[in-house]
Amino acid sequence: MATDAPAATGISTDEKAFWERIKEPAVYVRLISLVVVLGGWELMGQTGNIDPVTFSYPSAISVAFWDLIASGKMTAAAYESSQILVAGLLIAIPLGIVLGILMGRFRTFEYAVDTYVFALYATPVVALAFPIAMVLGVDFVGKTTIVVFFAIMPIIVNVYHGVRNVDLSLLEVTRSFCSTESQRWRDLIFPSVVPYLVAGLGLACGRALVGMVVAEFLMSISGLGALSQDYIADLELDKGLAPVVLLMIVGIALTKVVNICETKFSSWRVRQES
Amino acid sequence: MRLEGVGKWFGSLQVLDGIDIDVKTQEILTVLGPSGCGKTTLLRIVNGLILCERGEVSFKGEVVDGPRPEMAMVFQNFGLFPWKRLDQNIAYALRIQGREKSEIDRLVSHYTELVGLGGFEANYPAQLSGGMQQRAGLARALAAQPDVLLMDEPFGALDALTRETLQEELLRINEVEPKAMIFITHSIDEALLLGDRVLVMTPRPGRIRFQFDTGFGRGRDLEEIRGGKRFQALRHYLWEAMRNPEAEPEPIPELVLE
Repeated sequence: MATDAPAATGISTDEKAFWERIKEPAVYVRLISLVVVLGGWELMGQTGNIDPVTFSYPSAISVAFWDLIASGKMTAAAYESSQILVAGLLIAIPLGIVLGILMGRFRTFEYAVDTYVFALYATPVVALAFPIAMVLGVDFVGKTTIVVFFAIMPIIVNVYHGVRNVDLSLLEVTRSFCSTESQRWRDLIFPSVVPYLVAGLGLACGRALVGMVVAEFLMSISGLGALSQDYIADLELDKGLAPVVLLMIVGIALTKVVNICETKFSSWRVRQES
Repeated sequence: MRLEGVGKWFGSLQVLDGIDIDVKTQEILTVLGPSGCGKTTLLRIVNGLILCERGEVSFKGEVVDGPRPEMAMVFQNFGLFPWKRLDQNIAYALRIQGREKSEIDRLVSHYTELVGLGGFEANYPAQLSGGMQQRAGLARALAAQPDVLLMDEPFGALDALTRETLQEELLRINEVEPKAMIFITHSIDEALLLGDRVLVMTPRPGRIRFQFDTGFGRGRDLEEIRGGKRFQALRHYLWEAMRNPEAEPEPIPELVLE
């Protein structure tokens, strides 16, 4: 590829691609928007229109962000937080898939549990924090349980809908060719559930992050939630908002990972846009 | 393959009544009828996908009480798995039957070539035209090496040109590997062109109205048949019969039978 670059112009293809891309509205409109919003916010801060006791502005938050990283406080807090996040997701994902499949496939099981599942799905999970703390304690187990409750709901509901929405005409195809039940799962049901599952995982990751912070705020104070809350209580808003920036980055990264999985598992879908 | 007095109800609605059909080895039977006359239901009963309340379907003397590998269906909406490549779709029935890998590979490449899909093995269904998807549907059914092919309006969702091409292809393939076929259609032309025998059904409840041998013989040239007097006369006769579903069918004109 690099050898294809016209040597005479002295512009590499990478550079060219960059300028080509920036001409697209999707790229330059977003860039301009970011400059205007962040720049305006920064300007407000620089001109003294933001009281550093009640709010902060981008450059101050960035400095605080690097300070917290350099002092090791941020990494320590992130490590603490990630433990309940990862543990919560590791429980929620397989459990959610199994429950969703059982509900979608077996009527008796569905009727036995659907009241609770849909009631919990509609309940703001924050309201469950105190009863969970009472029963399971305010430490690792209690906090992980909160994350599980936040994350598991979209997985169960999506997988359930995926199993339910299996193409009936394809179900008939499997029957017509004398497929056994286990072959049917392999050829038809699992592949049709995947897009629903991936969408559910995307939601679950976002909700797991919310659950993590909620647990750290409401139960025993720890991790990024604690770091943020402590500084805000001390009226150091720049340091208080830095962990929030990290949470934002983690959230975006998790969404990206899910998107990549989605593309990988749906290579058979012909892209409409290209 | 034999059907005796088959009757079927959906709830209190009777959809089929007293259907007697005998399909001989390697015979192509086309079933013609207006929409909603229970043609597809009939085919699903033959396949064992649903059971009939009255009468009996038997195959080589055995009662059909569920799908069996000696019959393979080609579906109106193709019925391909969108997440499987073309070769995987064609291999589907063979894999279900638990054949050896080498045998599957051999049969898949044979039938892929036979239906004219060589070179498209790695494509997903959504990347192919409707005509090509149905070729794959046909290859999948043929690869299972059934004794009877069940065709549920297989070309109904295709455009006219593709449809005619596939009709010719189907007859060509059937010359190479003759099989009994029950072919459901609501196209008069298709029923006449493909069938050794045409069976006409009445709607609600579906009954057999009349049937006759087309007498075009094997190795037929569809272009030639289309231009011939016999085809024109039969076509006109069927058209009149379909337009007046209540009327007692007149006897087939002698001219036509020569």
